[in-house]
Amino acid sequence: MPYNIAMVSDFFFPQPGGVESHIYQLSTKLIDRGHKVIVITHAYEGRTGVRYLTNGLKVYHVPFLVMYRSASFPTVFSFFPIFRNIVIREEIEIVHGHASLSSLCHEAILHARTMGLRTVFTDHSLFGFADAASILTNKLLKFTLSDVDHVICVSHTCKENTVLRASLDPLMVSVIPNAVVAENFRPLFHPSYPNLSEFGTNVVPLPQHLGHHDTITIVVISRLFYNKGTDLLVAAIPRILANHPNVRFIIAGSGPKAIDLEQMLEKNVLQDRVEMLGPVRHEEVRDVMVRGHIYLHPSLTEAFGTVIVEAASCGLYVVCTQVGGIPEVLPAHMTVFAKPEEDDLVAATGRAIAALRANKVRTEDFHDQVKKWYSWTDVARRTERVYDGISGVLSEADFYGYEAADAASWSATRGRAGVQSFALIDRLKRYYGCGIWAGKLFCLCVVIDYLLFLFLEIWAPRDAIDIARNWPKKVKKERAISAGSTFR
Amino acid sequence: MAPTQAPNPSSLKTTFPPLTRATTLPSVSRNLATDRTLLTPEDAMYQGSPPRKQSAAGNKLQKELRMTNGENGDASGMPRRGRNKDRIRSASRRGKRVWSKLLWVKQSYPDNYTDQATFLEHLQRNPRLQPYDFWPLVADSTVIVQHVCSVIIFIVCFVGIFHRRIAPEAVVGWGSVATILGWVLWDWWVGQEESSKPLAPAIPPPPPSSISAGSSTSNLNGNPMLSRHSKSASTSSINSQALHSTPRAPNFPPSSPMSHRTSLRLSTAKSALLIYFTLLGLSPILKSLTRSTSSDSIWAMSFMLFTINIFFFDYGTPAPSSSINTGNKNIPASLSTNAALMASTVLASRLPSTGQVFSLTLFSIEVFGLFPVFRRYARQRDWRGHVALTSFLVVGAGGGVGLILGRGGDGEGLLDFPWKSGLLGVLIGVVGTGLAMGGCSWWLIGLQKYKNEIHGPWDPARPVIRRQWDDY
Repeated sequence: MPYNIAMVSDFFFPQPGGVESHIYQLSTKLIDRGHKVIVITHAYEGRTGVRYLTNGLKVYHVPFLVMYRSASFPTVFSFFPIFRNIVIREEIEIVHGHASLSSLCHEAILHARTMGLRTVFTDHSLFGFADAASILTNKLLKFTLSDVDHVICVSHTCKENTVLRASLDPLMVSVIPNAVVAENFRPLFHPSYPNLSEFGTNVVPLPQHLGHHDTITIVVISRLFYNKGTDLLVAAIPRILANHPNVRFIIAGSGPKAIDLEQMLEKNVLQDRVEMLGPVRHEEVRDVMVRGHIYLHPSLTEAFGTVIVEAASCGLYVVCTQVGGIPEVLPAHMTVFAKPEEDDLVAATGRAIAALRANKVRTEDFHDQVKKWYSWTDVARRTERVYDGISGVLSEADFYGYEAADAASWSATRGRAGVQSFALIDRLKRYYGCGIWAGKLFCLCVVIDYLLFLFLEIWAPRDAIDIARNWPKKVKKERAISAGSTFR
Repeated sequence: MAPTQAPNPSSLKTTFPPLTRATTLPSVSRNLATDRTLLTPEDAMYQGSPPRKQSAAGNKLQKELRMTNGENGDASGMPRRGRNKDRIRSASRRGKRVWSKLLWVKQSYPDNYTDQATFLEHLQRNPRLQPYDFWPLVADSTVIVQHVCSVIIFIVCFVGIFHRRIAPEAVVGWGSVATILGWVLWDWWVGQEESSKPLAPAIPPPPPSSISAGSSTSNLNGNPMLSRHSKSASTSSINSQALHSTPRAPNFPPSSPMSHRTSLRLSTAKSALLIYFTLLGLSPILKSLTRSTSSDSIWAMSFMLFTINIFFFDYGTPAPSSSINTGNKNIPASLSTNAALMASTVLASRLPSTGQVFSLTLFSIEVFGLFPVFRRYARQRDWRGHVALTSFLVVGAGGGVGLILGRGGDGEGLLDFPWKSGLLGVLIGVVGTGLAMGGCSWWLIGLQKYKNEIHGPWDPARPVIRRQWDDY
């Protein structure tokens, strides 16, 4: 059954990034599956109001004060009037928020629950429990996620983290990984993509074999920040280059640690063996990747690590640190894992070089395997199952995995079919458990939000809000799908 | 759960006691979960975020989601069997393949499946917990007591001078005598240390020639281990070359340590004289510095500055291994010293005569600049001297406050003698300090049980880099 879904996040195009492309790809694939999807984000430079993207994806750029790195200022209630208007106008049934640092998403989830909508939250990042910023974010996350229908995490480590941070029931957290658009990350030569040279002939060269004296190129594409492990990289590159004479590096990306990298190159006189490309656009990442044989990813924390999947899809052998969700992402025949230590990283890179030289790694198969494992169509299908579960289409036993006999007595706060109740008193109960002081404060916020909702219902009645017409393409598609299903 | 505790297949055939919350939960966490309001992993799994009724199905859920890290190793073997039974049943319901924590495998389990065996298995709680003991805590708190007492003594001296009850010359005279005595003691200690390590590198640790020496000497440790000391001494000399105002020969021949020390003494005396005469010249300016400001503002300001001084003072003992990082560590210490000197300057500007201003400023340099360096060194050298110094300071501060606040010797009452209020102050000070030290230590130990530090694979890894690029 088709749903009307609103994706809410502070992070969306035109700003580039992982969350942004996740929202876009997921929305596109959900539209392909017959749902109606809109995106609500804050206004970017020169982009306010409503925009349509490819495939009829409607984007609302709400004017909002941007505080830091495109995260909007957290005003608990100010988003409500316009959010309610959009939701009623677009007949939204499910509100899907993204990214835990986006206050727009948290507000939307709170208001959506007040309005009686189903909510889903997708967490894209890992947080510790030690520093002050994390503690504050965790408290806010707990506030929002006290009353959410389902949470999606991008890896199992991320799930454990989110369950701990927001004190969630693990069964209401699903793990749905990110995916890659395999067509955009294809290897240099691949049978399924005819490689047209300038003479118009289809060139499919033989699989290349690396001898003992061929040059192996190691690619690093990352923002050069501390938590991306640039210090490890700076320490490891001279040693790798000293151990292996026929090895070159290509480093793309920019950031505050770029100076350290350049100093290291100056000091060790490695300019002819290490190529620094500076920042590259996301479209150009593939063209950089296919120049190399090994992708080195020295990150210190990573929820999923989309870039290593992209590298494997380009046919690169991956050397990465064993942190966060990375060990879950790729199988052992595609990767060499290293501890986040200089010595181990050097050793792992050495192992990878030796394996490539011995032709033990069948990198030409990587693309098809990754394409099979990580596709956005699959992600959209699995996300749809979550929507089915929270809307009561799937029975509780199917969705949460209990026997049907237990379903009736399972929970006081879940209403019919494994769905959390919208009654204000039940919501207040859930918020009250957040902490001695925080619980009362959260309850106060929820009550005010509810009063605001009642006020808005009187002040701007539903009848006065026009219903937006749907993108015509969607209707056509639906008809095609239904026609296809009847023929089958 | 440790992998060695793999369930025995034969145990599955035995009968089980009914799996209720009481039987499946480990006893430790049950106690914890009842009377706390803090977030713990157990809360995440037992209570969930919604406060949920403890129904039979809820018990079943909790049983499935029981935490399985190593903490409940003390629980009996029975929950293990229960979990295994569950697992086999659910596996048979959904398919034969075992769930694995991988994203690239197409699994026959739903996306929200939570595997009890591996969920949160890498969770660590309080991995670096060090339980405090009572008496070491009390002993460590003497550092704070010393500093607070020296601040109080300084304020008492100011009040005495301000009310013309103490002659400023006496204050600065006694202070200077004590400073010179302390310096002589210091010099003797340094000499002892050098004679105890004849093969150590040539450059000896610098003497407390000026305030800037405080930062460089903070690298020293009193531990007479030769290798450690030589390392810290050499690094401190690097620091002191940058910090010292007095120039000094960088490569002194190791054959003549005595003459080197003599030259250091001379340079110390030189900088002391420099400070003396600079202050003497500045005193008239300081006297009229805040004439246009009202006294109330000055009291409030100096109170705040002394508070900053106490809170930002560097109470820690310098770790010998981290002597490279002392550059960062000295920043709060210098903030503290600067705050105290500024407070004493604005206080001194309230005094009417140049001589009083000069005395108080010089005294403040002695108390806030030189005395902490001496205290830090004395604590490492001689523990009994440290305790004696602490008691002396407590008595002095208590007695001083008593004398300032009390009105002894004015001929009223029966038990009237001149030092009555002073003695009373000493008594209250000693008792109060003892109670505060013991009480705060006990309180800190009591608070330690609320420590709940969670570590896991989501924390950013700490990179281990063997070689430092030492040119930046």
